[in-house]
Amino acid sequence: MNPELQRNLWLEASPFRLALIAGLVLLAFAASSVAPPAFATPSRAALALYWFFAVLWGTRSAALSVVAEIRERTWDGQKLSSIGPWEMVWGKLFGATAANWFGALLCLPFILWPAVRDTGLVSALMYGVILLALGVFAQAVALLSSLVLIRRNTGNWRLDTFLCQVAGIVAAFTYYSLWSSVSAFERSGTSTLDWWGHTFNLSSFHLVSLLVFLGWALVGCWRAMRAELRFTNGPYVWLAYLFYSAVYSAGFESWMGRQLPWQSHGAAAKLALASLTLLASTYGMAFLEPKDTVRLRWLGEQLGRGRLYRVFLALDCWMLSYAATLTAGLVLAVLWTASSPVSSLMVLAMLGFLTRDVAIFVLMQSRAGGKGDFAALAMLGALYLLLPTVLAGLGLHGLDFLFLPVGMLSVVAGWGEGAACAYLALRRIAR
Amino acid sequence: MIEIRELVFEYPGHRALAGVSLTIVKGSITALVGPNGAGKTTLLRCMAALETPYSGHVTIDGLDTREAPRAIHAGLGYLPDFFGLYDALSVRRCLHYAARAHGIAPEAAAAAAEAAAVRVGLADRMEQAAGQLSRGLRQRLAIAQAIVHQPKVLLLDEPAAGLDPKARRDLSRLLLVLRDGGMTLVVSSHILAELEDYSDRMVIVDRGRIAGGDSIALKTGARLRIRLASPRDDLQSFLAGQGVTILKADSDHAVASMSADASARARLLAALIAAGFAVADFTEDARALEDVYFSQTGGAA
Repeated sequence: MNPELQRNLWLEASPFRLALIAGLVLLAFAASSVAPPAFATPSRAALALYWFFAVLWGTRSAALSVVAEIRERTWDGQKLSSIGPWEMVWGKLFGATAANWFGALLCLPFILWPAVRDTGLVSALMYGVILLALGVFAQAVALLSSLVLIRRNTGNWRLDTFLCQVAGIVAAFTYYSLWSSVSAFERSGTSTLDWWGHTFNLSSFHLVSLLVFLGWALVGCWRAMRAELRFTNGPYVWLAYLFYSAVYSAGFESWMGRQLPWQSHGAAAKLALASLTLLASTYGMAFLEPKDTVRLRWLGEQLGRGRLYRVFLALDCWMLSYAATLTAGLVLAVLWTASSPVSSLMVLAMLGFLTRDVAIFVLMQSRAGGKGDFAALAMLGALYLLLPTVLAGLGLHGLDFLFLPVGMLSVVAGWGEGAACAYLALRRIAR
Repeated sequence: MIEIRELVFEYPGHRALAGVSLTIVKGSITALVGPNGAGKTTLLRCMAALETPYSGHVTIDGLDTREAPRAIHAGLGYLPDFFGLYDALSVRRCLHYAARAHGIAPEAAAAAAEAAAVRVGLADRMEQAAGQLSRGLRQRLAIAQAIVHQPKVLLLDEPAAGLDPKARRDLSRLLLVLRDGGMTLVVSSHILAELEDYSDRMVIVDRGRIAGGDSIALKTGARLRIRLASPRDDLQSFLAGQGVTILKADSDHAVASMSADASARARLLAALIAAGFAVADFTEDARALEDVYFSQTGGAA
């Protein structure tokens, strides 16, 4: 047996604990079966308990599987072990959550049996697969978040665990609410979706999307664990993820064109959706990843020596995301030059502001370490919300271009601020 | 066994290691000493391939820590300064997990766990939870976990911190047994006295550099401290006649260097008594390491 799984089972799935969970679950079902139907039914109680075990508590267990190793100072021992990254990931993912899955799986028959009766076997099975995948997805996101957060070395394990738990819960609830929307669409007669010009069954598309994103979350865990275990991660997996997420979001252009008053169709609109996804990934990774000045200086030194391939192999995810966003954005600006010059200028300005914001993240972390990212977020909040509001209050709408991508002057302002912040960040790194 | 060349390690705003070069001899116990914050832990973590240096190289048995960290981990045991144990697991399960985690096959893991427990003297506590052990026993369990796969190199960061005198003595004995079994040990500490009993060589880390340039051999001979109850002016000339090297001497006190051979020391003591010297004290000088340390650091530490 995978030693990490075995150790987790020893710690998390003691017979006493499992018996306690089984007893509580059965008691909850007994209570719900005698309660008035308007208050609770066994299937509704089972669904609520499933969410509790698999998502609410499961994300905490998954996050603690890494964060507690740091807290208990056992992480160095794990890093020195011969356990491979994938073994370590699934040993933690399913071992640390063993008690949660025991409780969740006890609930599943009580959820699915009424579903078989009401909607048929195939539909109930699909629902079951979605619930299982959703649980694993939430826990994988929590585990991935914990592996990213420990690199930031915050020293606050309670906050780290909470943040990872929130990330997992948000991922699960986002997907579940989308799935609920799918059900609503289906009830209103819409059961298909256009994606890259092809028509797909809405439920099937949704399920496949969940499974693919679950796959990416597991790949992310594996990759983050590789880094912890001192394997070298090249940039290719992250580039593949960026490509996938850009292509995935671009595919919704025709569907969105029907739902929204979208002005620009075709290649430019697809690229716009892809660029927005890349932009989000740049901000996300710029916030999450550590931006160690020593490592950045080392990269600069290697660059100075002309070791380009070495630098390329060592690039962080936020750097790759930034480069991809910049490339996609510039192409988009060119595509929109003739048809929509205003949009083209807005894209150029956004790229300038993005450069400024990334430099602010680097600058703030170099000054305040892990807390610097939160300082950078506060600074961005001031730049995008507070200062424009103050200007508007003073009747100085004409100065909006300094902080928001509006008009020709905002291109100059965005890139000017970007260059200034990048200069300050580079000076800080070189020190 | 361990070669370190021009090692530089930086934390943001602080250079912890500034071009360290060092050779650790195979089958030795090397004491890594220096004040708090000197860079000892960082150096050990670089040796353990847990940190990537800014520049420079560490090779262990020909393997570079940057290029083959996992291969190095397989042949290495490491005890961090604040080691962690799975408190809820029994000693047996802790060691079984450590054995399996270090690649020992499932059918051999139980025996490896048992052997490691015997080596550190925990065989009679196999079913006790790690969290219920005393500080000294927890230390032993942590060492057992680090040696369960019989590594060639064992790195220990402040292993005696917080131990009582008996536990320290047991630790010294254990380290000597491990060295005699062929292991290469590097032990860091800022308490010199505890390293005296078992170290063969000493490396002084001071402000991210190695004082004196490389490791210093210890125990090439014994340092004897002789004290007389009644002063005799011929003490120095008598000792010189016995073939010992006098480091310092006056009429009632001498520090001399001689062979570590016990019978040679016994012969010297017999000769002194036979010559009528009123020997009040005849002991191995326990301050050897400290003297070397301060001679290298200029007493600054």
